[in-house]
Amino acid sequence: MRYDSITEVIGNTPLVRIDPAVHGLRRIDLYAKLEMLNPFGSVKDRAAWNMARPGLPGAVRRGETVVELSSGNTAKALALIAGMHGLPFKSVTNRMRIPEIKDLLLLLGAEIEELPGQTECLDPTLTEDPLTLFHRELTRPGSAHLHTDQYFNDRNTEAHATGTGPEIVADLDGRAPDWFIACIGTAGSSTGVARVLRAHDPDVRVVGLVGRKADFIPGIRTVDEVHEVGLFDPDTYDTIEAVGTDEAIDGMLTLARRCGILAGPTGGAAYYGAVRHLRAAEEELTGRATAVFIVCDRGESYLSYVRRHRPELFNRPPVKNSVATLTPAEVQSAAAVDTAAAQRWIAEQQPLVIDLRSPFAYAALHIEGSINIVDELFDELLRGGLPFGKQQPVLLACPVGEQSARYAALLTRMGHPDARSLAGGIIAWRDAGAPLVRE
Amino acid sequence: MSEAPEHREPPHLEPPHLEPPHLEPLYLEPRLEPPLASLLESGAFLHSLTDALGSPLAVLLPDRIAENAGQFRAVYRRHHLSGSVCYAHKANRSSALVRRLAVTDAALDAASLGELQHALGAGFTADRIVATGPKDPEFLWLAALTGTTVHIDGQGELEELAGLVRKHGLPRVRILLRLSDFRAPGVRIRSRPSRFGTSAGSLDRLLDAVERHRDTVEPIGTAYHLDTTSLDEKAVALEGCLHAMDALRRRGFRPRTVDAGGGFGVDYLAHGAQWDRYTTALTHAVLGRRPPLTWGGHGYGLRAENGTLRGTLGLYPSHRPVAGAAYLDALLSLPAPSLGRPLGALLLENLYDLHTEPGRALLDQCGLTLARVLEVRRTDSGEQLVRLAAKASDIGLEEHGVLVDPVLVGRGGDEDPGGPPVGVHLTGSLCLESDLITRRTVFLPRPPRTGDLLAFANTAGYCMDFGATRAQRQPPARKVAVHRAADGWQWCLDEQYWPITRQGDPQA
Repeated sequence: MRYDSITEVIGNTPLVRIDPAVHGLRRIDLYAKLEMLNPFGSVKDRAAWNMARPGLPGAVRRGETVVELSSGNTAKALALIAGMHGLPFKSVTNRMRIPEIKDLLLLLGAEIEELPGQTECLDPTLTEDPLTLFHRELTRPGSAHLHTDQYFNDRNTEAHATGTGPEIVADLDGRAPDWFIACIGTAGSSTGVARVLRAHDPDVRVVGLVGRKADFIPGIRTVDEVHEVGLFDPDTYDTIEAVGTDEAIDGMLTLARRCGILAGPTGGAAYYGAVRHLRAAEEELTGRATAVFIVCDRGESYLSYVRRHRPELFNRPPVKNSVATLTPAEVQSAAAVDTAAAQRWIAEQQPLVIDLRSPFAYAALHIEGSINIVDELFDELLRGGLPFGKQQPVLLACPVGEQSARYAALLTRMGHPDARSLAGGIIAWRDAGAPLVRE
Repeated sequence: MSEAPEHREPPHLEPPHLEPPHLEPLYLEPRLEPPLASLLESGAFLHSLTDALGSPLAVLLPDRIAENAGQFRAVYRRHHLSGSVCYAHKANRSSALVRRLAVTDAALDAASLGELQHALGAGFTADRIVATGPKDPEFLWLAALTGTTVHIDGQGELEELAGLVRKHGLPRVRILLRLSDFRAPGVRIRSRPSRFGTSAGSLDRLLDAVERHRDTVEPIGTAYHLDTTSLDEKAVALEGCLHAMDALRRRGFRPRTVDAGGGFGVDYLAHGAQWDRYTTALTHAVLGRRPPLTWGGHGYGLRAENGTLRGTLGLYPSHRPVAGAAYLDALLSLPAPSLGRPLGALLLENLYDLHTEPGRALLDQCGLTLARVLEVRRTDSGEQLVRLAAKASDIGLEEHGVLVDPVLVGRGGDEDPGGPPVGVHLTGSLCLESDLITRRTVFLPRPPRTGDLLAFANTAGYCMDFGATRAQRQPPARKVAVHRAADGWQWCLDEQYWPITRQGDPQA
């Protein structure tokens, strides 16, 4: 298929049936609407393009900056769209909690502004909260901004009422599904799709999914935050249910490992919430029924998110030559020398002095003639074997002599005959009045 | 008093429309640890104290501040760091707390001439005091004379201090440079503008001035204080201070101390689930989807516009799972935004000492405020009012945005539950419509009666005397220090407390 512009590729995403052997529903056909296959990678491509499009010619003429409150997929799509039109993009966000997305936005040339956390010494009369100030800046006369305003912009909903919704109906041979399940972020996709489906069949049941309160699932608002969304209307949904981080990751794993769908946590949450809701609803069902949920985006950007919440999913085999495998007795018996003895030893035998602190600290002050191999690098070096000959005596130095003792023990275990630790570390060295240099 | 019998009547005799249709009591129970928890179980003791000394009454547990300082010290040890834990005195005027702390290894952050005098008088030597905040010439002079370390807010203050030292022939003063407005790598953080400190971007100009005055001042390090609960913002600031230390070294100074300020926070609530449920209910109340949870439908900063929630919740996060010493631990474990190493490791390997200035966090569980119930009545619209012998300013929780329930302490013990849970409004003793102890509807496990005490737990940090007024010639609460001796609770007036005076203990 040939296109003139990448934006023409937005939409017309596939509807893929989930294998009943995976979800276990007996009377319901469950379909995933794969919004992750949009060109910029998410369901937000539709809204971003539809919201930005009318304003772009004027913005180009006036040299405006595209601005949005987003820490995720909308920012990503808008950054790409803005770039295509030669416009700068600025994202204002509470906190970029997904490092991969933050880095990607920076790579795309976006400017990111983060809003501060809550104040510790509360001033209840303060009306100048940073978000209010931001809005005031945008609405100031002469402000050179194209603000897409995703949480309040009806063109967000419209993108789905004219695109996502009709596509689902067309793919189900002109019928609306019996259930539609979607996570609520800006409420644009769920509201737009629900409007179309209900017009086809007023009996469609719409399930909105929100994040459990203490949890954070990227792209989904929590049960309280959802009320801050202008597009959110509780009457859109027959029911609103909460999903937790663990459940979202479970859903994400099922879709990836069993269905070949590399969804992100939001898609995982939608799958998990859909199956949970439908399993209960199925009990009252006599005939067959269909249900559709939305897979918002792809999983690759969320590896650090999953690692933080479920480190056990990333277990690796133990590494060779690791300080973690040392026994306390080994560490205890590592050779150590105090400052005075170390100074004599350095003068007489010229051992290799290895400073395990970071380059930043080493650059500020260090023992003259020492070389700097920061602990994490040294750790990696040792995995491959001894990085210096056995005839070369070694003095290891760290801030207080703990880490250096561990590495001295490890070197000894690896067969080094004369590796010693600077007892009390560089702090003891300084406190003893021994010289430290800055070069 | 004439109101009291009316409320002992069985509930079914009351007009049915009067009880607002609250589905269930939305409690926000305080987190209570020993010894505060057992103090609250000693109702007779608390009643006798209030009978003698009047309501409101502030009760302090000085031993607990030493324990809290020990928890901070344990975090220092875990990261192998040395340096001082400086109690931010402004959080409480109490003498007992300062005198108790003087016999620990903690230091003190004095923010006024009076606080500096108080600390010196309590036994803190000047090497254990830092002078912070806006300073008048007398404060600067006494700090310089005694050898107290001075936080320098900006170039103006530096010039003033240097002038004082020269004019009065004072010894060279150790100073910490207070910085603000740090830049994060990659992103711009819209931090709240601060009135305090020198912008990190203007450090060079400040250092020029420090060099000009090196005969009068000795920069021993850098400092920041950010008014935020966000760890990431603090990580940016702490790393900024490390870079500033480097700048000092480049100019030939030998700085040794990084001061990470305060703001470690307190977890006020026993159950996070209650906080979650309450704030959700408040959201629904503001949107009109459930009956109001506050006096006059106050939204604590939230409001409804066309069915959408607007505004920002202007409340202290009463439930903070990571607070106090644990928050410091988390901060030190966080990787520095540009250097990548954990901040604690960077401080250590640069051989720096860490200063912290916890106020609220050191006073966690250190005291409570008692108020007597004077009157219980219903308004015509059915709201239950409970009038206390205290002004709103005597119980600073509301002023600081902390939502937490008071504990009902009955005179005769609590063997008689005395009725179902109720939602009440707590009003103060001033002749002023707005004198509400809290604008929140407070749920109590039973209807309060005249003569009961309400104990507001965990008020020692900022919520005891910081904003207390003398309006209508009503004095602020008296303070007593208590401790548990072998034969029960013992007390003395706050100003009578010294760490060696232990009423009730066997005389050693």
